[in-house]
Amino acid sequence: MLSAIVFLPLAGALVIALLLREERRIRLWAAAVTVAELALAIAAFVLFRVEDYRRVGSMELVERYESWIPPLSVQYHLGIDGLSVPLVLLTALLGMCAVFASWSVRVRVREYFMWLLILQTAVTGVFVSLDFILFFIFWELELLPMYFLISIWGSGRKDYSAMKFVIFTLSGSAFMLVGILALFFSVDTFSMVDLPSKIEGARLILPAGAIFAFLFAAFAVKLPVWPLHTWLPDAHTDAPTAVSVMLAGVLLKMGGYGMIRIAVGMFPKMAQDYAWLLAILAVISVLYGAIVTLRQTDLKRLIAFSSISHMGYVLLGISSVVGVKGAVSSVGLTGAAMQMFTHGTITGLLFLLVGLVYDKAHTRHIPDMGGLATRMPLIATAMVVAGLASLGLPSTAGFVSEVVVFLGTFPVWGWATALAVFGIVITAGYILWMLQRALFGPPLQRFAQVGDATLVEVLPIAALVIAIMVVGIYPAILTEVFKTGLEPIVNSLQTAAGP
Amino acid sequence: MLFPEPGTASGVQWAWLAPALSASAFFAVVLLGRFIPRNRAFLSILAIAAGFGVFWYVLKEFLSSGGGEFSVKWFTVGDITVSWGIVVDELSVVMLGLVTFVALAVQVYSLGYMKGEARFGWYFAVHSLFAAAMLTVVLTDNFLLLYMAWELVGVCSYLLIGFWYERRSAAEAAKKAFITTRIGDVGLLIGIIMLFKATGGHFDYSTIVHVAEEGGIASGTLTVAMLLIFLGAMGKSAQFPLHVWLPDAMEGPAPVSALIHAATMVVAGVYLVARLFPLFLLAPTALLVVAIIGLITALLTASMALVMTDLKRVLAYSTISHLGFMMLALGSGGFTAGMFHLLTHAFAKALLFLGAGSIAHGSGKTDIREMGGLWRRMPVTAVAFGIGVLALGGIPPLSGFFSKDEVLVAVLSGRGPVFFVLTLAAALMSAMYMARLLFLVVLGNLKKENEHAHESPWVMKLPLVALAILALTAGFLAPGWTSDYKGFGAFLFHEEPEAYHINGLVMGLSLALAFGGFALGWALYSRGLLSADRIRERFAWLHRLLVNKYYIDALYQWVINRIVLVLGRFIALFDRVVINDTGVNGTGRSVLLSGIRLRYLETGKVYNYALGMVVGVVVVALIWWLGLPNV
Repeated sequence: MLSAIVFLPLAGALVIALLLREERRIRLWAAAVTVAELALAIAAFVLFRVEDYRRVGSMELVERYESWIPPLSVQYHLGIDGLSVPLVLLTALLGMCAVFASWSVRVRVREYFMWLLILQTAVTGVFVSLDFILFFIFWELELLPMYFLISIWGSGRKDYSAMKFVIFTLSGSAFMLVGILALFFSVDTFSMVDLPSKIEGARLILPAGAIFAFLFAAFAVKLPVWPLHTWLPDAHTDAPTAVSVMLAGVLLKMGGYGMIRIAVGMFPKMAQDYAWLLAILAVISVLYGAIVTLRQTDLKRLIAFSSISHMGYVLLGISSVVGVKGAVSSVGLTGAAMQMFTHGTITGLLFLLVGLVYDKAHTRHIPDMGGLATRMPLIATAMVVAGLASLGLPSTAGFVSEVVVFLGTFPVWGWATALAVFGIVITAGYILWMLQRALFGPPLQRFAQVGDATLVEVLPIAALVIAIMVVGIYPAILTEVFKTGLEPIVNSLQTAAGP
Repeated sequence: MLFPEPGTASGVQWAWLAPALSASAFFAVVLLGRFIPRNRAFLSILAIAAGFGVFWYVLKEFLSSGGGEFSVKWFTVGDITVSWGIVVDELSVVMLGLVTFVALAVQVYSLGYMKGEARFGWYFAVHSLFAAAMLTVVLTDNFLLLYMAWELVGVCSYLLIGFWYERRSAAEAAKKAFITTRIGDVGLLIGIIMLFKATGGHFDYSTIVHVAEEGGIASGTLTVAMLLIFLGAMGKSAQFPLHVWLPDAMEGPAPVSALIHAATMVVAGVYLVARLFPLFLLAPTALLVVAIIGLITALLTASMALVMTDLKRVLAYSTISHLGFMMLALGSGGFTAGMFHLLTHAFAKALLFLGAGSIAHGSGKTDIREMGGLWRRMPVTAVAFGIGVLALGGIPPLSGFFSKDEVLVAVLSGRGPVFFVLTLAAALMSAMYMARLLFLVVLGNLKKENEHAHESPWVMKLPLVALAILALTAGFLAPGWTSDYKGFGAFLFHEEPEAYHINGLVMGLSLALAFGGFALGWALYSRGLLSADRIRERFAWLHRLLVNKYYIDALYQWVINRIVLVLGRFIALFDRVVINDTGVNGTGRSVLLSGIRLRYLETGKVYNYALGMVVGVVVVALIWWLGLPNV
């Protein structure tokens, strides 16, 4: 089943390449593929919740072909656990939204949807791979469609931004590859399931701290962590809407996912030793990102910068791994994982809406806007919902994840968390300023002809609003799942922290 | 268990229905609004009316069989369990009654006031959401749910202040309100998390109070936590220095001001201090801060209310001042006094705001200098408004007189003469600005341009009359009348029932100040015995200071423009110039440059390469030999 989930979009892309010519059919086909993908992901999620609810720490739906590349003992090994299954669901959800958000693409339609579908395969593959080489292949595969999508269908300085994105990620990947190879030559396996136990007590050819730092650096670029963040605003701003949605919604989460499963999961002791550094970087990311966001006047850039701030909360949650007096709790990591999911839905929705506003009003410069709420009430309402979720309003997803991060981290890093909480005031500042200037105020004459969202555009908006509200009102739907996935990591952290 | 066990006598659990009904009304209107034929407002009103019914049922059950705490699990994360829960006790029952009643009155009134408004359904939907959130604030038994509901009422306030969002000033005021209160909310959240950590993972009040009373929380931690929580209360209850949002919030429709910015949401901070009173008693420093902030707020804003000319703004400053009185009473240990003043003030102030709305509706005027003699054209509104004025001014036997008296007694016994004298000063000013309203708005001669003013429809008059009756009579709740009812203090108290206090000195002073204030107002604004203009000229600097709100708003604006935004610009510049252009592009450029330089090494001459190889081999051999002897 997992192979189907991973390769369905790729197969869809092949069909487009070989069989489909007409633009309308390509769009419909892509939509059908992503809807089927979402159905599969929901099925996997439900199966996981129902069947294996109590099987803590076990991988489910495993597919293993041991002799894929025998001389290197590289395996084709897929599986999901509580940590990855929500992210697979998120990828499928946003993948579908991305296709619907691309309805108005008119340039080189065939290639566009092919790349979009390939991107989805790559990201899903990252979340379900259990072999390090396979993981790395998917990790790299994601760059290709991103590069083309930004540099062909983007706007502004698109070539610069696309190249910058690729170089940043590749530099990170270089570090990651060194880490992967160092591990392989130390313990002779690429299996991500076996690695944690084998690393423990093994003699490594590089110091454990160095391998941890290499792996962490690769993920820190992706998350991104200050000061490795500057690719993000450029890439987001110049990317087409659907690609921004995917980039903010799921690509950043590859970084957080790698940090939790690989950096922390394989090197619990190192993560605890450097947790103070993570906490500091997290607070800087949160506050720095938020303050810079205050000064942005481009709608898309504003949301891009806000992502830096919000991903800081992910890092903050991760920094709680050191525990209090030798007792490690899973709360902080759960918060980090929750924040990844909720940020994906919220920021995905924001980018979607900003793209619509730009399509219709032909400007993203906030000071030029005003009174759009009268012209596009549906979009405005969704934007208010997304904005309020982004600033952490209770009963939306944003609140739950942020508060769980705070609860998990405050006992460990009191001052750092207290400082990070101030991020929510600044967030309220820029979000409300954006809403006020763009949507409220007297209706402007130059927007007199601007219309509201069409039915095709409303579909993804509705899907994301529902996701945001469901997680906000019934967080157990995610917390229980994440818990089963995080338990083994927390156990190893507990062992590393000592009795 | 939220559903009562079969066979148990008490039905107070059903209190949760009150917020649930209003929440359902909100979702019904928002999601299914299109399918509801005509008037969607009626769903909201039905829900809150049912909520009011729930109050009477809960009151009956509570009086016969007592209250309790009831909760269900919401979600768990790690070893933390988060639950939805309610506590039914004297405090929450009183608040339940207050909120449902005022919300009902205001929603009925809004039928008339908002008639013909676009987004009429949306207005009532948000009202329902507000009622649900506010009822959750007063019913919940734990901090996390409190914080959630607390933020939700803030959002409803934001949405309703900005209801006429086409007006720039309304959108601006909405944003200001949300952000100012959010500064307090950060304190509240950190305080909650501190208590959560100190008690080993608990959110519910009863456990936290229990642990604290056992001495399980270090006193320093407790004091800091209570101060932070009070910061949240200051934001919501518009206490100095976070009071600046409330006057601007008057951009919202008048019924919204009556409900949210006078009677319910803004008293949430006072309610929170009362709810956590046992914890504040364990942290005397924090309690002293409550009293001081309350006193400063009461004095400062009462003086500003004297010079404002917009009717709703006068009322707004008066609200803040009275919230200060409530905080001051609580901070002086006067639990009953603070809560009683909350109650009487809520009725009177809701009445005044609805009256102001009715005046604006009937005459189109908002500036008090353009009003006068309105009783000739709108008698019901004017009489009701007059009752509200006299009640808040502290004229016996109206409700404000009783509660203000209790506040003064509490301050004198709890904090001593200095606080007491300053409180008297604030009370005098409160009588004066109320007198100003009475003589400038209701009495006096009708101005020519107000000839066309007309009385409002009955849906607006009905709530006015109901609230006027309460403002007139609620004071009699204070003393006991029968053997069954021994006065408000015997019902709602902390630790020991309080008898109704009569302190001759205090009552005498209070009476003298109230009548003195009104007499002064009469002399200034009605008879012209004293000239207000002359006083204004004589104390021009003082007038300027007051009209400019002590320059506090200007100071904040300056800080935001000159410090926060400049800092933001600086960091944004730093991000581009230092991190991006130097750090990132610089790295790229240096790679490029070194490539340009290094390419001259590629000479294509074999002996150059041979030399390089030899040097390399020698260097590697040296490192091997010197640096890594054991490998």
